[in-house]
Amino acid sequence: MDIRNSLAIAAYGQTGLRPQGQMLADPSSGQMQAGQIFANAVERFGATLAEGEAQSIAAMTTGADPHALVTALAQTELAVETAVTVRDRVVEAYQEILRMPV
Amino acid sequence: MTDFSSALSVAASGMRSQAERITHVSENIANADTPGYRRKVVSFEPMRGFDQAQGMVQTGEVRLDRRELPRIYDPGHPMADETGHYPGSNVDMVVELSDAREAQRSYEANLRVFDQIRQMSSSLNDLLRR
Repeated sequence: MDIRNSLAIAAYGQTGLRPQGQMLADPSSGQMQAGQIFANAVERFGATLAEGEAQSIAAMTTGADPHALVTALAQTELAVETAVTVRDRVVEAYQEILRMPV
Repeated sequence: MTDFSSALSVAASGMRSQAERITHVSENIANADTPGYRRKVVSFEPMRGFDQAQGMVQTGEVRLDRRELPRIYDPGHPMADETGHYPGSNVDMVVELSDAREAQRSYEANLRVFDQIRQMSSSLNDLLRR
């Protein structure tokens, strides 16, 4: 697992939300809430990945509890699968819009 | 997804507890012939804490079995008293082996649950992917 990948994701979770939050500040509060929910989800995703990496490093260097490692990796896998699936769906929907005959 | 991840944590806590139990069983078996050794008994209790998922298990304090130590007759033993007896260990091999087997079965059950949760979550993702 590449450390830089998840760092990028964590950074994205922190930075990618600010413009979105500003953008969504004036429209209805429902959109604002959606942006906030998405922001929280991305942040949690970054935290899960960071936890998985910390556990892997601890297990390899200090011989930490293997059960914690397995749990962290399974949760990371779950989070990555979910994120990838959601991203694919979003991209698919975007392409569907682009294919619209003008 | 929080349901799945807390279920994963609970299954992992079960596995960790059973691993600790088998550690104490192996200590007991290793010390079966140690004079004066009392077998260690491990108990399970629900984990308490603010950041822990509900329903996790942990091992409690290790206690020593209070059963009386058997008196073994061996006048040549350095620890033998004036009657020629010395205290043995109160480890019963049959009990320890069945305890080890039970720990293994419980561990496997937790492992199956863990795998089942992973399969459930991946099939949920498959549904989303379609």
